Amino acid sequence: MSLHPNPLHSSAQSDIDEIENLMYAAPVLPARPPSPPRASIPVSSTPFVPSNLPPPSYTKPAPPAPPPVAPVLPPISSGGASGDPRPAISVDGFGSPPNTLTEPVWDTVKRDLSRIVSNLKLVVFPNPSREDPGKALRDWDLWGPFFFIVFLGLILSWSASVKKSEVFAVAFAVLAAGAVILTLNVVLLGGHIIFFQSLSLLGYCLFPLDVGALICMLKDNVILKIIVVSITLAWSSWAAYPFMSAAVGPNRKALALYPVFLMYISVGFLIIAID
Amino acid sequence: MDEGYNSLPSTHLLGSVPAVVADDKKPAVDEARTGSHSNLHIFPPANGGYQAPGTPYDGNEQATTNWKGVLSISSYSPYFNVDTDNVVDRILSSMNPLQGDFRRKIDSYPDLYGPVWISTTLVFMLAALGNCGTYLMNRKSVPDTAWVFDVNYVNWAASVVYGYALLVPVAFYFLLQYFGCSASLTRFWCLWGYSLFIFIPSSLLLVFPDEFLRWLIILVAGAASSVFIGINLKSYTEGSDMMVMCVCAMVLQFVLALFIKFFFYA
Repeated sequence: MSLHPNPLHSSAQSDIDEIENLMYAAPVLPARPPSPPRASIPVSSTPFVPSNLPPPSYTKPAPPAPPPVAPVLPPISSGGASGDPRPAISVDGFGSPPNTLTEPVWDTVKRDLSRIVSNLKLVVFPNPSREDPGKALRDWDLWGPFFFIVFLGLILSWSASVKKSEVFAVAFAVLAAGAVILTLNVVLLGGHIIFFQSLSLLGYCLFPLDVGALICMLKDNVILKIIVVSITLAWSSWAAYPFMSAAVGPNRKALALYPVFLMYISVGFLIIAID
Repeated sequence: MDEGYNSLPSTHLLGSVPAVVADDKKPAVDEARTGSHSNLHIFPPANGGYQAPGTPYDGNEQATTNWKGVLSISSYSPYFNVDTDNVVDRILSSMNPLQGDFRRKIDSYPDLYGPVWISTTLVFMLAALGNCGTYLMNRKSVPDTAWVFDVNYVNWAASVVYGYALLVPVAFYFLLQYFGCSASLTRFWCLWGYSLFIFIPSSLLLVFPDEFLRWLIILVAGAASSVFIGINLKSYTEGSDMMVMCVCAMVLQFVLALFIKFFFYA
């Protein structure tokens, strides 16, 4: 499910950084025997002391990523991901890849879910590192945005009384194509942005609109719908604002932000208008 | 037509980011403004946007467009080289057709940001407000109609607006080339794109369910837009008698206005 870096392909510098992080940042644990259900690498044969930190189970897109992003292990998801104290997955720079293929499915799902939750907390809710876009969504993923877009499409489809499949198609197409086009817009305006990180962010910022759509589906009053959608729309725009405005120069900020507002307003209108 | 290493427009080089420092952009734009160096009229961009030092880039106008230029995103960057106040300035001058200074404004660096986002906004406004307007009009005649959101409006709005903004300038470009006038495809796209802006506030005003008011609004908007197109197109066909072209363009714009009224605000 999730991609992990193949050490043979990653650059030497990021290997060295990973190794350094493992050595200096992690608590040193005594070596434990491998547990029977896992076909894990015997601990004593690796030159590194295994730690509690999960492997960096993502890849970044190659050149445009700013250097500090790539080799940093996700500090946030370390707590929740592998709840068991066993160093079940060890990362070494020199040989066998980490064992995400043979771990139980529940572990993989749990890890991805915790990453989604932590990204959501970073993007949508107020927290101190919001103003720094480089730090905000370092550990981007595309599962979260996918779930939110499909969820919103399903809710709109359920709320519609006629042409349900067309409504889902329009909602999904607008949101998915819209995220890609918004990112391209920033790139064309000369901004600095990572393509997939931006897609991820725009998907996560849909979460308030998901909540709003759910409320609107349960309570069918027009005035209530307008109020709820306005509030969630403002929340979504507030979530997306620092990231988008930091990506381009100050004299083009409005040009980069206007399409974001347009997309959220059109989705908000779709939520209100579907009956 | 001077070649050489000292006159390369830097906005075409890969990796240049004009927006970061404001005064870095000015010299690049000034270079682009001198007509012989600007090849923004070549569309799609050739060679991935990068011109090797030795090539005469305004020697052959239809430069070889290899696939790398068409498919790489950064080669379209020169067409989006505008600031917020440029875009606002162009929009305001499109609302005011009689001044005739639009062509001067877009001549050195026509942008595609305006056409793309104005047409997208127009699609959304027509789909959304068309539904509102139709509902209000129906409610006046039959007091108990339920609100129905017709998703087909989105499809129709997208096809009509995007098709018009994309194809009509191409058609006029080829026609004018055939008749020997110089024409520039990006400037035509820019012109027709900005001419659609006036339909955005008028689509907002058309929601009022009064038939006479609606006709008044759409006639005024259609006329303003047609005059805008006509005056600016005439300045491209200076020196040859292409009145028929200009009149055709104006008529087409007016037909678009009428279609908007008939289809979306019945």
